[in-house]
Amino acid sequence: RDEAHALVKEGLMNDMRSHVCWHVYGLLHRSDRNYNEAIKAYKQALRIDSDNIQILRDLSMLQVQMRDLPGFAVTRHNILSLKPNGKINWLAFALAKHLNGDLRGAVSVIDIYLGTLTEGAPELARGFEASELALYRNKILAEIPDNYKEALDHLSACENIVVDRTSWLMARTKYHLNLGEYAGAKGAIAEMFRSGMTENYIVHSMYMCVLDSGLCKEAWSLPGTRTLASYVPLSQEQKEKLLEGYKTDLFPDYGFSAAVQRIPMNLVEGDRFRNSLDVFVRKKLVKGVPSLCLELSTFLLEDRNGRYQLLDDPYDVKRHPTFKLLVELVDGYISSLERNKKLLPDDEHEEPPSTELWTWYLRAGLHELAAEYSEGLAMLEKCLEHTPTAVDVYELKGRLVKSSGDIKTAVEILDKGRDLDRQDRYINNQTTQYMLEAGMESDALNRISLFTKHEGNPEANLYDMQCSWYELGLAACYAKKELWGKSLKKYSAVVKHFDDFNEDQFDFHAYCVRKVTLRAYTEVLRFEDNLWEEDYYFRAASGIICIYLHLFDNPSILEDDKEPDYSKLTGAERKKAKAIARKKRIQAEKKEAEKRQKEAESADNGGQKKKGKASAVDEDADGKELLKKNPLDEAKKFSAVLSKHCPKRFGTWVLQYDVAMRRSKILLALQALYRMKSLDDNNAEYFSRLVDFATKSDNLKDVSPGVHRVTSTEFQKLLNHKPLPEFVAAAAGKAKEDKQTSLPLRAAIAKAIVKTKSDSLEAATNLILNDGLDGRGVDVDACRSALQTLNGFGSESA
Amino acid sequence: MTAGKTLTVEFGAITQDNVEQLRKVNLACFPVQYQETYYKEVVERRDEGLCKFAYFNGFVVGAACARVENTEGDRQRLYIMTLGVLAAYRGRNIGKQLIQSIFDHFEENKDGEFSKVDEMALHVQISNDDAIRFYTSRFGFVQGEMVENYYRRIDPPHCYLLYKKLR
Repeated sequence: RDEAHALVKEGLMNDMRSHVCWHVYGLLHRSDRNYNEAIKAYKQALRIDSDNIQILRDLSMLQVQMRDLPGFAVTRHNILSLKPNGKINWLAFALAKHLNGDLRGAVSVIDIYLGTLTEGAPELARGFEASELALYRNKILAEIPDNYKEALDHLSACENIVVDRTSWLMARTKYHLNLGEYAGAKGAIAEMFRSGMTENYIVHSMYMCVLDSGLCKEAWSLPGTRTLASYVPLSQEQKEKLLEGYKTDLFPDYGFSAAVQRIPMNLVEGDRFRNSLDVFVRKKLVKGVPSLCLELSTFLLEDRNGRYQLLDDPYDVKRHPTFKLLVELVDGYISSLERNKKLLPDDEHEEPPSTELWTWYLRAGLHELAAEYSEGLAMLEKCLEHTPTAVDVYELKGRLVKSSGDIKTAVEILDKGRDLDRQDRYINNQTTQYMLEAGMESDALNRISLFTKHEGNPEANLYDMQCSWYELGLAACYAKKELWGKSLKKYSAVVKHFDDFNEDQFDFHAYCVRKVTLRAYTEVLRFEDNLWEEDYYFRAASGIICIYLHLFDNPSILEDDKEPDYSKLTGAERKKAKAIARKKRIQAEKKEAEKRQKEAESADNGGQKKKGKASAVDEDADGKELLKKNPLDEAKKFSAVLSKHCPKRFGTWVLQYDVAMRRSKILLALQALYRMKSLDDNNAEYFSRLVDFATKSDNLKDVSPGVHRVTSTEFQKLLNHKPLPEFVAAAAGKAKEDKQTSLPLRAAIAKAIVKTKSDSLEAATNLILNDGLDGRGVDVDACRSALQTLNGFGSESA
Repeated sequence: MTAGKTLTVEFGAITQDNVEQLRKVNLACFPVQYQETYYKEVVERRDEGLCKFAYFNGFVVGAACARVENTEGDRQRLYIMTLGVLAAYRGRNIGKQLIQSIFDHFEENKDGEFSKVDEMALHVQISNDDAIRFYTSRFGFVQGEMVENYYRRIDPPHCYLLYKKLR
């Protein structure tokens, strides 16, 4: 690579006017991922030879990669004018207009292109490419605001050339519903069901739009198996109407469909609901469905702000009437089975032994939802005595033990289950995850290696496979052990994967236009634009930020390796200190060399058996280079990305606050507080940072008086214009009144009470202890940190 | 013991990856603990005809392990080492299906692999009346001589040899 750079530079020096040299220079930069440099080089080349199509093409691909959309449009226009007989150039130009938001322009480009084709041309006939182009044009029409009528007409016109019937039907349904015409959509929906889409919950939701077409917009953003029925509270007549529809339209033809059986259950109440639940559960218990409990938990819905939310806090679950109903039903089955092996006393025939196993298993699952861990474990013990070969039981048992705080035992249990079926990749992955959480990273590597490629280093293989869950788990494991460098290394590996995801789209720019898969292509572009919203990226970035902030707060961590300050020592001490330091360094280097030698040897040995390529020895396996970076700069970098791309996550703003306060950027910190409040104002993290801001913001240096003034006025709003101790006392009062107050919030308020002395130490302690375990948010981590808080108050309260 | 309706099982091989389940079944069914050599032999032989799991509703609920042993005069016998069904699934003809499948396997290969096999045999603790009845009345095994002190750690330590002539 260095050779290539040198040669190209030589070439350029010899002849600055050679467009070939600049072109090659650009290609070199591109392969080095220096995209901006590459674009500059291409533009230089074009200045010399402005009609070179090859260069223009390369430039256009880079521009769309870097999302320089106006530039992309200009370049594509140029290419089109130079070579108007290339289909790809027309399509790419239309695409460029589309991406730039000129929707009408994009449509007209496509129309002009279609106009250039003679009648009877193969491109116009029914076929994949014509179909995709038509649907793409239609998609653009639909994106124009309030243009559904035109989109619908176009859809009808191109019906005969479209091969992707499903997309055609979906689009038709959407347009009719957006126009408020359910009647028009009805036919398309019926055809979709007929063609086998009975398990598509979006189609079901659209079917439900018979009630109100206006709901359609919410309908197709519902995730998973949520439908309008389980999302929007409906009136009695509305429910009856839908039930009638399901009974007459769908059940006769699609009675076999799981969705058709499940969805109406959200529409019935009282005894009808009880009966349908009873039939549903019993059927699945006999069949043996491990995910039955998860399925039933989707019935635990609560109306909050006009929309149903799924409950997951045990406090809420226990009080939900459906949960109580489920417990009643399942307990009934258990005692009935015990008495005479029948699920219901009046059943005709007896159940095989497996039914009893699944019933106990379901009961344990219900205990888990209610956080009744000992009861759940007791149920599972019965299961294991009954059928000790049931791997699912070990998994649930391990999970319950983990939830009750004993991760090490959980690992043992899970590993036993894994040992029963060593071909089961899922249980192997679960075991690995638990081991990482328990701090057993070498055992975890051992387990996961059972499923990696035979040759080479398993960790390298996991890196190549971009196995982010493992790397995130390992990074968290290292962080808990305070091996900061190694942890940063693993988090950075995940960040690198995301950079690769972004990079990988490059090849598609040319390919997709050639294959005319423009709809999918624009979806990919949109996905890549939102790449940084993903869960795994957030976890990696927040892991990195937390470590760097910790290092910033505790610089002494990194100083162990540094040379002591010689100027402060006497001559003799200096000599001694230097000798010690040199000895330490030599020993460390020797160890490193030995380790590397061993690794090289084992790689050689492995390489002799098979023809695998020797994995590159990682120069900085312990992440020392990462530790040398300026912690606050790195933290700021990642926090900025998160704030830009993950604004809906509460955690983003917690991190922004933490970084901003250390940089004395109180405006950013205040913004973070406001965002936190709008997302979840009952959150303990928000509360403790409010208190933190109140106590710290006046003392921060590097803040101009103007900024101070603005922030103090705005901040007062957050405190409801009360002085801090009063605010805390008010919060404490509210928390005491409301029995549901979560444990973390109680602990945060208690800490604040002590800090601001707004009440006695006893009051603070009592806030946690009284009812602390009866509210929301009670899990092992919360309890541990609450205990820590109490310990911090002094030995008495603990 | 009530013999309820038959639970039809499916059979599967015992391999290195699932042999742990065989340990679980044996632990649950037998008072003796089998040696590592026994498990090693079963896994290495990989002979689904003679060593198999019985599956019901996706779970391993029973297992049977047999092997070919040499007897006098260059003849052989099919020896049943273990046959067990988890307690919750007993009385549903699963043991019967396991033994029957071994008989069937013999029938299919009696002129090939098992051309020298004359009989099937097993040892049963003298106190295990249920097992003795299972083999003698259902499958026509004959109760043979008693072997004293066959077992080392259980009481009574004696057992009977049960056998059935196959030719």
